[in-house]
Amino acid sequence: MKKSGPFRHGKFPGVLAAGAGVLLLLPLAGIDAFLLNVLTLGFLVAVYTGSWDIVGGVAGQISLGHALFFGAATYACALLTSLAGWPFPLAAVAALLLATAAGAAVGALSAPLKGPFVALLTLALGEGAHEFFLGQTFFSPKGAYSWGGEGGIPVLLGGPSISPWTAYYAALAFLVLCTWLMLRIARSEEGLIWTAVSGSELSARASGVDVLRYKRRAFMVAAALAGAAGVGFAAFVGRATADDFSLELSFQAATFAAVGGRGTIVGPVLSALLLHSLLQGTGIPPAGRVLLYALALLLTLRFFPGGVAGTLRDRVRSRRMVAPGKGENR
Amino acid sequence: MFGLYIARSVPAQPAPFLCYLFRMTGVRLFRFLALFFAGLLLAGFLPAFADDPSSRPTIRVGILAPLSGPFASGGSSFLEAATLAVEQANEGGGILGRRVELVVADSQGRVETAKSEAMRLISREKVFAIVGAYLSEETIGAIEAATAARKILIVPVAATAEITDGVSRDYPRYRYVFRVGYSIPQWAAMMGEFLRQRGVKTYAFVGASIRWNRELAGALKKTLAGSGILPVYEAFYSPRNPAFEPVAVAAAAAAPDFLVLGDPGKNSVVFVKRIREGGSKVPILSVGGSLGDARVVASLPLSGPLYVQAAAWMGTSEAATRYVTAFEKRFGYSPVGYSDTLPHDAMTVLLSAIRAAGRLDTDSVISALEKGAFPGVAGTYRFDASHQATWGPGSPDLHGTVIQWEKDGARIVFPRR
Amino acid sequence: MPGSSFPGADAPGDTAVNPLAQVLVDGIFTGASYALMAAGLALILGVVKVVNLSHGAFFTLGAYVAYVLDSRGVGNPLAAVFMAAVIAFAFGVFLGKSFINPVRSHSFSVAVGSLGFAILFEQAAQMLWGPHPLSIDLGAPLAVVDGVTLRRWGVISFLVSLGLVGGLSHLLSRPLGLPLKLIAEDEEIAGSVGMDVEKIRYLTFGAASAVAAVAGALLAPAMAITPTMGRVPLILSLIVVIASGMEKVWNLFFLAVGLGLLSNVSAYLLAPSWSYVLLLAVICLLLVLRPSGLATVGPSRDY
Repeated sequence: MKKSGPFRHGKFPGVLAAGAGVLLLLPLAGIDAFLLNVLTLGFLVAVYTGSWDIVGGVAGQISLGHALFFGAATYACALLTSLAGWPFPLAAVAALLLATAAGAAVGALSAPLKGPFVALLTLALGEGAHEFFLGQTFFSPKGAYSWGGEGGIPVLLGGPSISPWTAYYAALAFLVLCTWLMLRIARSEEGLIWTAVSGSELSARASGVDVLRYKRRAFMVAAALAGAAGVGFAAFVGRATADDFSLELSFQAATFAAVGGRGTIVGPVLSALLLHSLLQGTGIPPAGRVLLYALALLLTLRFFPGGVAGTLRDRVRSRRMVAPGKGENR
Repeated sequence: MFGLYIARSVPAQPAPFLCYLFRMTGVRLFRFLALFFAGLLLAGFLPAFADDPSSRPTIRVGILAPLSGPFASGGSSFLEAATLAVEQANEGGGILGRRVELVVADSQGRVETAKSEAMRLISREKVFAIVGAYLSEETIGAIEAATAARKILIVPVAATAEITDGVSRDYPRYRYVFRVGYSIPQWAAMMGEFLRQRGVKTYAFVGASIRWNRELAGALKKTLAGSGILPVYEAFYSPRNPAFEPVAVAAAAAAPDFLVLGDPGKNSVVFVKRIREGGSKVPILSVGGSLGDARVVASLPLSGPLYVQAAAWMGTSEAATRYVTAFEKRFGYSPVGYSDTLPHDAMTVLLSAIRAAGRLDTDSVISALEKGAFPGVAGTYRFDASHQATWGPGSPDLHGTVIQWEKDGARIVFPRR
Repeated sequence: MPGSSFPGADAPGDTAVNPLAQVLVDGIFTGASYALMAAGLALILGVVKVVNLSHGAFFTLGAYVAYVLDSRGVGNPLAAVFMAAVIAFAFGVFLGKSFINPVRSHSFSVAVGSLGFAILFEQAAQMLWGPHPLSIDLGAPLAVVDGVTLRRWGVISFLVSLGLVGGLSHLLSRPLGLPLKLIAEDEEIAGSVGMDVEKIRYLTFGAASAVAAVAGALLAPAMAITPTMGRVPLILSLIVVIASGMEKVWNLFFLAVGLGLLSNVSAYLLAPSWSYVLLLAVICLLLVLRPSGLATVGPSRDY
């Protein structure tokens, strides 16, 4: 199957490269610490949202508990460094493995389920984890107060503290790498099978595809990426709280992805970055911010029902179908 | 052909601009959108390149509180009370001859947002100091940002010991943090003193299954154990989907002399309704918050006594009465005595310390805070070695108050006059 | 005894003679309130197959309508229910026409868009009525039978949810309900048979919103009213509607009551902090054991 649309040709990757270039040069233009902070967080949120798209968009398994994997990673980093005294790199690897294992487990549980039942199961698992960790406290070695619950657990990085510039560029590199990875996965043979499964499980099964196995693997990959974002978040923010498992965070992934274009990877990543930066980075008064967010959702989805990137991709595809020629054979 | 496709998916009579917008083809449209959003971003980022606001002759103080989401109630009364304090300071001629300017930030109930917004207040808005936040996780995020930037942070409400722990553990790094509100052990001590005065022998504690409620329950048990007062029932309901009825039934069945409600939010209001519905007349002591709101209490059955602990109330002192009157006049409702009074005092203490220091210099103000005594609504604030305000039943001034709700209003029952 | 036991715990209580019976009755009532909240969502999700994440917002709208009427001295609950239904129906139709219908080809976007509306409503409510919790007088319990208090809101939830579920079930089995079921099955056929699919969809959406608001208006006196109060009812409704299998409406009622009982009994016998986690765990178990929820296992569909 050929890769479609103008995305294959020079224009779109060019625009993306230009955007990446702007982001590379932005700190040098003298932006303040606050903006550096917002953008760094935005890069992490973008990876998190893109990871949702792997399972929710490409594989079509709408997950409403994606924060489970994110929170598992942040909590693992926090607990292992603060309570067990592990060095951060080791804790990070363990956190990533834990998130991936959680993804495999959730994938295994949800593979036999269809559509809304997957959504419900993931929602219940995410909410259950949130509720559980909200009530779980761990005594700090210093006594007098406990860690955990809503107050959270610190993440000890050990060694000298990371400068905001280092964090920014590291997060940017992380974003570029993960986006490239996600695009490769989505366009790989495996990714195409996921898309086929999401389209029609019956036909996929009839073609001899082991549907359950592929659904599981989609969850694993998505969880691994969400876990990676979680590790980055834990390192950058320095604190893991029970809210890292929250339903609001799960919904946020799905929502940003919907606006960007479910299934396009690039759409969710860009929309997450843009929305996060716009909403958190411009100092809009709170009422205005919430209204802007709600209106952005409603208006974008009203006029771009498949998300911005999704609708554009569909329009380009249908245009090619309507007016064939110039070497396209369909 | 493409136009026809577009026309099908767009409403019948769109505005002319939208017509133009949707007649653009794929890549052109994408470019337009990319430029549009880039423009928006740029417009938002322009303030980063704007003039340095600290060149204007005002004192800028930042407020960090949750102004949206589930905790917007506490956050908005926080903002209102702090605004009142600033207005009063400006009416009195300002501080050091300058006007005080309030800069507002929404912490949204998340640790990374609180940290981020604290950074915005510091690096973009160039505030001199910050008063905030509200929740413990927000406050911890704000502490990290403020101390890294060497800015004073006055904590009005969050009660966990972790906040002042940094001051004693790593003074050079955390000396910028001061807590005006009471800590959990102090809170337990004040409530415990009230229960002791009432001659209570047994009590029950009902709170939410969150860390600080559990800490408060533990601190109360410890404080009362010394007087031989024991809990006969302790329960922590689910914070998201609480099962109130079985807890109400079990709490009533345990027949305590007093029932302590640890949740300052709306859950306590619902719990009071449940337990009174079931017929129990057990006296209830609430930690404050929503049950300090007269409009809410007006709808509650007073079949059993309802007591609310607060930092201050109308009538506990002249300053408190003046504050309540001013608040009612300015905002049209009576303050609840916790999420408004403490932020008001936090702002007042900060501004008084600046005045006492004589200079807008962080180290001098810290010194002034450590050494001085600052009158506020709830009493005179002094800070101990870990920068904690000296609240407690033994304190000469800061001992809080307990009111009892009656049909025609609130009556102060603690401390005894 | 739940929680921790301490000396003095065996002293006789001053209220219910039989606490366990009280907990069971309360559990049924809690479950009935879940069913009441979920009824509107069942109509939309189960019948017309639109995921409506603004369900909680309409619930909140009903609660605020009840509050506004109560604060103006209109104490009659029927008035609150009527006003809430009318206002919510109007908003629901508007939302259905302006957003749901045009976007219906992408069901996921419909869901997210409805969430956008919920966020918008929360902010509007905060701006209109303030962020502070509001409260309506609950009124006395309806009766005390054998030491068991029958809470007013519990009895109302039970009766109204029975009525709603029964009515919905009846509607769907009668000729009147066929258009709805046909639209859910196959829109093209429904359209080719001459049904105005668009109109039926947005009218149904309006009706479902009205039912959500009625639930809010009826339950408002039992709760504290805040702008974000609809979030948990939304989650509970989603859980109840989807897990019931979205086939037979009565499954929803029984599942809801079962969950309410589980929640309350586990809070009483185990520990109150576990009530919600246990509910969620049971739902997960249910889905693992019965992948189509409580629905009767029929030929598997491929949507």
